[in-house]
Amino acid sequence: MCAAIWLQLLLAVVAALGTREDKETRQIYLQFNPGFSNSSVNLLHTRAVGNGSTIHYIWSTIGAPTVLLIYTEDEHSELRINWTKLLSADPSGAITMDPADSVLYSTALAFTRIFEYNDVNNTANFSGTAERYFYPAYDLSNFVWENANNTLNSSSFSFRLSGVDASDPTGSFRNGSVSFRVSAYDRPGRDTSAPRLLHTANCTKLEFSISGVQPRGNQSRFAVEMVTLEKKSGCKTLRSVRSIDDEYTPTIFKMMELVPNSPNASHAQGYFQWKSVAYGSVNGTRSNSLPCVVYDPKGVNGTLSVPHIIQAFYGEQLIHQYNMEVLNVSFGIAEGDFYDKNMFLGWSALVGYGLPPRDSFSILVICIMAVALGTPLLLLIVGAIVVSFKKKSAYSSYEPIN
Amino acid sequence: MALEDEQEALLPGSGGSPSSREPRPQMAAICDPSRFAHRVVVLMLMCFLGFGSYFCYDNPSALQTQVQLDMKVNTADFMQLYAFYSWPNVVLCFFGGFLIDRVFGIRLGTIIFSLFVCAGQVIFAAGALFNAFWLMETGRLVFGIGGESLAVAQNTYAVSWFKGKELNLVFGLQLSMARVGSTVNMNVMGLVYERIKDAMGSAGHTTLGITLMIGAITCLFSLTCALVLGYLDKRAEKILKKEQGKTGEVIKLTDVKDFSLSLWLIFLVCVCYYVAVFPFIGLGKVFFMEKFQFSPLQAGAINSVVYIISAPLSPVFGFMVDRIGKNIIWVMCAVVTTLAAHLMLAFTLWNPWIAMSLLGVSYSLLACALWPMVAFVVPEHQLGTAYGFMQSIQNLGLAIIAILAGVILDSRGYLFLEVFFSSCICMAIVAVFMLYFVNHLRGGDLNLSSWERERLQKQAAIEYWQRFGCSTCPLRPKCCRLLNPVLVGKCGDLTLFGAIIMLELVDQGTRAEQPEQCDFLFINIVNYTCC
Repeated sequence: MCAAIWLQLLLAVVAALGTREDKETRQIYLQFNPGFSNSSVNLLHTRAVGNGSTIHYIWSTIGAPTVLLIYTEDEHSELRINWTKLLSADPSGAITMDPADSVLYSTALAFTRIFEYNDVNNTANFSGTAERYFYPAYDLSNFVWENANNTLNSSSFSFRLSGVDASDPTGSFRNGSVSFRVSAYDRPGRDTSAPRLLHTANCTKLEFSISGVQPRGNQSRFAVEMVTLEKKSGCKTLRSVRSIDDEYTPTIFKMMELVPNSPNASHAQGYFQWKSVAYGSVNGTRSNSLPCVVYDPKGVNGTLSVPHIIQAFYGEQLIHQYNMEVLNVSFGIAEGDFYDKNMFLGWSALVGYGLPPRDSFSILVICIMAVALGTPLLLLIVGAIVVSFKKKSAYSSYEPIN
Repeated sequence: MALEDEQEALLPGSGGSPSSREPRPQMAAICDPSRFAHRVVVLMLMCFLGFGSYFCYDNPSALQTQVQLDMKVNTADFMQLYAFYSWPNVVLCFFGGFLIDRVFGIRLGTIIFSLFVCAGQVIFAAGALFNAFWLMETGRLVFGIGGESLAVAQNTYAVSWFKGKELNLVFGLQLSMARVGSTVNMNVMGLVYERIKDAMGSAGHTTLGITLMIGAITCLFSLTCALVLGYLDKRAEKILKKEQGKTGEVIKLTDVKDFSLSLWLIFLVCVCYYVAVFPFIGLGKVFFMEKFQFSPLQAGAINSVVYIISAPLSPVFGFMVDRIGKNIIWVMCAVVTTLAAHLMLAFTLWNPWIAMSLLGVSYSLLACALWPMVAFVVPEHQLGTAYGFMQSIQNLGLAIIAILAGVILDSRGYLFLEVFFSSCICMAIVAVFMLYFVNHLRGGDLNLSSWERERLQKQAAIEYWQRFGCSTCPLRPKCCRLLNPVLVGKCGDLTLFGAIIMLELVDQGTRAEQPEQCDFLFINIVNYTCC
């Protein structure tokens, strides 16, 4: 009987949890170089359609690898690309949305440079390392990228952009590459590979990796530079969410989020979210986890060349209506392993629209706690009843004296 | 036959009294084994006897990050270091007393166990030096063989030197010293490692090996104490004509079938509780660094809080539980408080000082209330077996859970680990509740207050005596030895009753062995039974 009650209680808890979760699904369409037959450049268009809206993700390696996130309140909004203009020196206005007024929100994230520095004291202090310990940074806009069409997987909605340094004076890229593996999702869920990020249908995941690249020193550490933008009224802020839940990424308690900080945000906006951990191996175990550190975004001074794709979509408006910001993420921890130990660095992040997904206790944890805490209580009640019953019968067995 | 026993009791010296009447050469107080000053020296040696093993027991915890980085092992493998300590003790708990009493004798036994501890730590350190993790595990195994038995030897020494004198104080001091060893280790080993790393210019398995070798110095120190203590004990034996100390432990494995449900429940509480404390402390330092972002130094300090708190609190709680009784209630309080502490660590980001302090307090309380309970549910001649069993099961639990905890941490993280520990504690709570109800229904005396217990014991003694008289009493030999010969003569069959009360007095402290007190008691008894 008790077991039945417990089972019912558990089911109720599970059911309650189930309904609480965001069950929103979307239809995903993935297209390589839409409207262009040449495969010498990569532009991948992911459309996530559903619930009266479309989220467009445009990934491209024309210029620095960039993703544009465009949210439209229209299930039939379409991407228009003027390829001749896009491949020219001034691509302003080459990428547009039709209808243009359906665009409610857009943002972009470009990966511009990879820094490599010689961590002589093994302190992993990227921002405090003297200039002279830095090797020349890899400029990702000068990379040669493989044809991504071959890596396209339409069932898992994923593809891979991988590239090598075009000039490569030190021969570092002979056996290695820098790559972005991108996956879109049509329903909420959780990744099976570390760091097992929780995702919704409103986001895509990118796995940035530097694999097999020969480091230029045996105490090399890496950092990546990114550029993002936001409407002039606001700016992106970095939020560190400390959680108590590390069930999916053992021992990592910190989630970092880059979200717009606009005072009068009437609706949800784009986010960029990652666990502050990278891995030194493809399967990502705890033993080769590398904590990563993010540095506060800084406003871009005029010297930075605007990434090609950002220029193509935002064009002239960029300077007047948008703030561009640059931020760095460095990998590694003091006393930790250097890159040359594993010759691999993998880091995952989500790019999405809406509210960033939040981890909650897994059903397993809740069940264990419920049973563990419930059993003593149950025992206490049952025991109390039995004892009082026995006592009563013990007393009643006494005969009156006369 | 009975007379012979009593005769024997009359012989001088056999009652363990150091005040031999033979003339002895005069010597300085510090050299005279019958004087307080000499005993202080012995006491210090006894305290430092265990220092090395307690210092080195938690070496892995204090250097967890370093061990894992330098030896390139995951947490599950790391926790093997603790498991390997526990494995030999699953068996050895039964034989520690036997080895000391029958095989080696206390002096040689202590030296041998100290040697094991030393050798274990040196092998452990050598494993790091040669970058061979299996060798480190072997070292911990050897260390474990010596470690726990050394504690038994330490207690035996204490009893043989201080029985009827400052025994409780000595036990308390030894325990405090053990805690000091653990605390110093937690706070110092990290610093030593840093220093050596600075001196060598880089970190690596050699650095770790040298650090652990330095740790082994404490074991050498303890070995020296064992040697000196052995010499002094031998000398005292010659001068005072006293016997070599014995644990008096008798282990009979067949007794297991007579163990009551209550005893099994006590075992269950013991296992479930300790597996949620020691493996947690083993992993604690890195937990505080990773979840609460403490510096290694802070993390080491907070991880030793449990030991720091238990050093002064254990004697206080011991006294309190002794006086008040109601052991089950105290155990309940301790277990529930521990659960609260674990839940805090699992589900909040509150400053862990709160949770760890709670854990320290409840851990001390539990130790004081749980272990004496065994004596209430087991007849005296089975006590050795029961305690041996309890420690054995505890070690088995510790070994298994240590490995399991490492695996859980690697695959599921700290939250899950804490949930797991909390469930263990919940199981302990279930066992305590069951113990309470079983005790309640069967009318056991586990949860009586101490005055009720006293009254019941007297009553039982009278009933027994009234029914059987003295001749069949199982306690007879002991009672004859304990009682003042004059009184034995005077009271005849009443001896049993007196003996029981005397035993109680001996157990409670040092008030017995005073004839006038016995006289008083006997007069009371006679009065009481006559009415």
